Amino acid sequence: MQTSGNMKWLWLVIGAAVMLALPQFVTSSFAIDIFIRILLFSFIGVAWNLMGGYAKQLSLGHAAYFGLGAYTSTIMQVNYGISPWIGMVAGGVVAMLASLPIGWLCFRLRGPYFTIATIATAQVLMLIFLKFRDFAWGAEGTTIPNLGSAPLMMQFEEKSSYYYVVLGLLVVGLWITHLIEKSWIGYYLVAIGEDEDAAEAIGVNAPKVKRDIYMISAFLTALAGTFYTQYIYFIDPATAFSFNVSIEAALVSIVGGIGTLWGPVIGTVLLETTSALLQSWLGSSVGGIQLTVYSLILMAVILWRPTGLIGFATDVYHRYARRKPARA
Amino acid sequence: MAEALVIKGLSKRFGGLRAVQDVSFTVQENETVALIGPNGAGKTTSFHLITGFHRPDSGSVLAFGNEVVGLKPHDVCALGMARTFQVAKPFGAMTVLANVMTGAFLRDRHVAAARAKALEAIDFVGLGAKEQTRAKDLTTIDQRRLEMARALATQPRILLLDEVMAGLNPAEIDQAVALVKKLAASGLTIVIVEHVMRAIMAVARHIVVLDHGQKIAEGAPKEIVENPEVIRAYLGSYVHPPAQGDAHA
Amino acid sequence: MWETLAQAVINGLLIGGIYALVSIGVTLIFGVVKIVNFAQGEFVMIGMYISFFLATQFGIDPLVSLVVSMPVLFVAGVLIQHFLIRRVLGPNDMPQIFLTFALSLLLLNLSLMLFSANYRTVHTSYSDEAWHIGGLYIPVAKLIAFAVAMALSGLLWVFLHTTDLGRAMRAASQNRDVAMLMGINPNRVFAVAFGTALALAGAAGSLLMPFYSAYPFVGQVFVLMAFVAVVMGTLGNVMGALIASLMMGIAESLGIQFVGADSGLIVVFALLLLTLAFRPSGLGARRGR
Repeated sequence: MQTSGNMKWLWLVIGAAVMLALPQFVTSSFAIDIFIRILLFSFIGVAWNLMGGYAKQLSLGHAAYFGLGAYTSTIMQVNYGISPWIGMVAGGVVAMLASLPIGWLCFRLRGPYFTIATIATAQVLMLIFLKFRDFAWGAEGTTIPNLGSAPLMMQFEEKSSYYYVVLGLLVVGLWITHLIEKSWIGYYLVAIGEDEDAAEAIGVNAPKVKRDIYMISAFLTALAGTFYTQYIYFIDPATAFSFNVSIEAALVSIVGGIGTLWGPVIGTVLLETTSALLQSWLGSSVGGIQLTVYSLILMAVILWRPTGLIGFATDVYHRYARRKPARA
Repeated sequence: MAEALVIKGLSKRFGGLRAVQDVSFTVQENETVALIGPNGAGKTTSFHLITGFHRPDSGSVLAFGNEVVGLKPHDVCALGMARTFQVAKPFGAMTVLANVMTGAFLRDRHVAAARAKALEAIDFVGLGAKEQTRAKDLTTIDQRRLEMARALATQPRILLLDEVMAGLNPAEIDQAVALVKKLAASGLTIVIVEHVMRAIMAVARHIVVLDHGQKIAEGAPKEIVENPEVIRAYLGSYVHPPAQGDAHA
Repeated sequence: MWETLAQAVINGLLIGGIYALVSIGVTLIFGVVKIVNFAQGEFVMIGMYISFFLATQFGIDPLVSLVVSMPVLFVAGVLIQHFLIRRVLGPNDMPQIFLTFALSLLLLNLSLMLFSANYRTVHTSYSDEAWHIGGLYIPVAKLIAFAVAMALSGLLWVFLHTTDLGRAMRAASQNRDVAMLMGINPNRVFAVAFGTALALAGAAGSLLMPFYSAYPFVGQVFVLMAFVAVVMGTLGNVMGALIASLMMGIAESLGIQFVGADSGLIVVFALLLLTLAFRPSGLGARRGR
């Protein structure tokens, strides 16, 4: 146990050093862009995974919180000149509050109906922002005024700075997940995901646990929304509430390993690398190729390894660990 | 002895079906009471009503003097009443230890304390060697043991066991009977739904018989087997006499 | 005013017939196989493309190509059930939801690659024809589509109520265990249910082609409508889905008429959320235990 604990720390330190040093060695803007995408979607996946992975509440509507975060900070910045750093937190709070009625509505349903309801809530929010031209620019959206180098307004000249911001977000997301996973809440979440009735029977207040974790998940997803808008300097309802965000949040977690700490990260690395390779081979001219490949990977995972890449590893471990005493 | 569980006039309809109709009985503290009856008599529904999974149309359930009707299942559990399910519901992807710790967290949120409490419960039900096994890899009887350990970890005063012996072979039934007796000896009040007559005779001091949602008899085991109405209920709707080892074939 | 209202109701009713074909498919699969098919809309799209290519390559009228699109999709449904769906049936929701969801993504994006995002239309001799009754305007293509849709729904009803296989499907949708006891081979019943549902989606596609454009995303409109209708009509209930679909069509049409052209979808989503909020019991708000 002692050595494996030490090994874990060693790996973490090495990993951290590599991640911190990476932008110093890789200067290609294309590559940095891919790293940022990987970190961003890992982070969104981590946020989704808290609710969707551990508690198996399979939402396909996390774009709702991504969009609310993006719009909150952008409205505060463009209309009132408030820094997106503050707007980011404000967006998180807005998303948390929005998650209460949305959760109230959706958590009354189980299984596929929950999923359908979450899709609908995100779509309704998108339609609302399309309609409300007065404070949110309607369908045309808006660009974010470029201030050059303005770190206090979350604007940087170097792409590597964005890299460090989103790396920080991912670390926070992973740290929160780690704390939850190791505590009673983590056990409760998995129990709810496995069998909600059985969990209730042993004293788990399932609605309350789900509500609380959904709030955290919404908060984190909103932070990603703010970051993304700042990164691309543009916002409109179609990008902020894009169904693709909802899909990818779920996809990276399922492919990597649903309900595991590192699953979303591993899934994102696989999917985004595949997508980058496809793009460099075929160019971006072929529409639909990325999601075609994603859906094939998703189907393969579901049919052969529903527990994802990490689940595959644990299965092997358990088989081995279970046989060992028999041999001894 | 104090009254642990007082059930009065419990009724529940599903559509036109009267699943449970005006059922009343009392369980004394530290007593083991069996709830028996032919299939569809309303035994499991009664459990659902008592533990908050269904809300009764009328009636009351007092656990140590506290009204339980209207509470959610987790509140009922917090009051000291834990149950198992007819079809075992283990958290399949979790280890045995994690399953039972989830129950233990009700009384203590600290991981170390919950772990200690869980290991105690796992040992008690005889799953000691399998604490790191994933629940879905357990055999039927071990899954039942796990359910009991998980319920025990919530530190209940009343334990409701729903057909914990269904699907077990005769040797396993003996083990299960021994376990239920051990639970009773530890001071728990137990309500057990069971088809295996041999087991009921071995563990229950008092039997309540349901048929078509109504209580048709209640008393000591000896009186019950001789009660003409009970015999008729079983012969009328049940192909096998209830004395067979496993009525769930 | 009254004429506008009546016109909106007629428009809605006519398109509601198409929604019904899609919804009945969703409800049939849910009832019998117990899964929600997220890809149902993509099969409507495939039906449309089949009719489009038969019309442009061979000059076959879309209504005639029904006899191609329906059997093709029936076979596709049987194969999908046999090779994909069958492998994920079980107590776990995740594989079921994400398998059909992945299928939907795959079909949508494949068609995006193959056919591009362009809108494809087929112009038939009756595409622009319309009857004028009083002040009302009834497009012939839509009327034919509605009539055929109703006829197919009626045929399905007869099939479900008079044939052994149909009765087996109804039995399976009411009680799985009872159906097993009756000696029904569930795999065969599931395959027929899936095939039939997809054939209905294909029919919807062919019927739409004379007056509606085919494009890769077209199915999403219909599947969302179908979810709403199926939820409102109580899942697994064919008649309920039919009536709810007609109502959905009318509601959407009234929304477009009286709220604004782009508000049809808002009305639909609002209805879905309201249904979920106030009628969750109709659709497995809590799983049976």
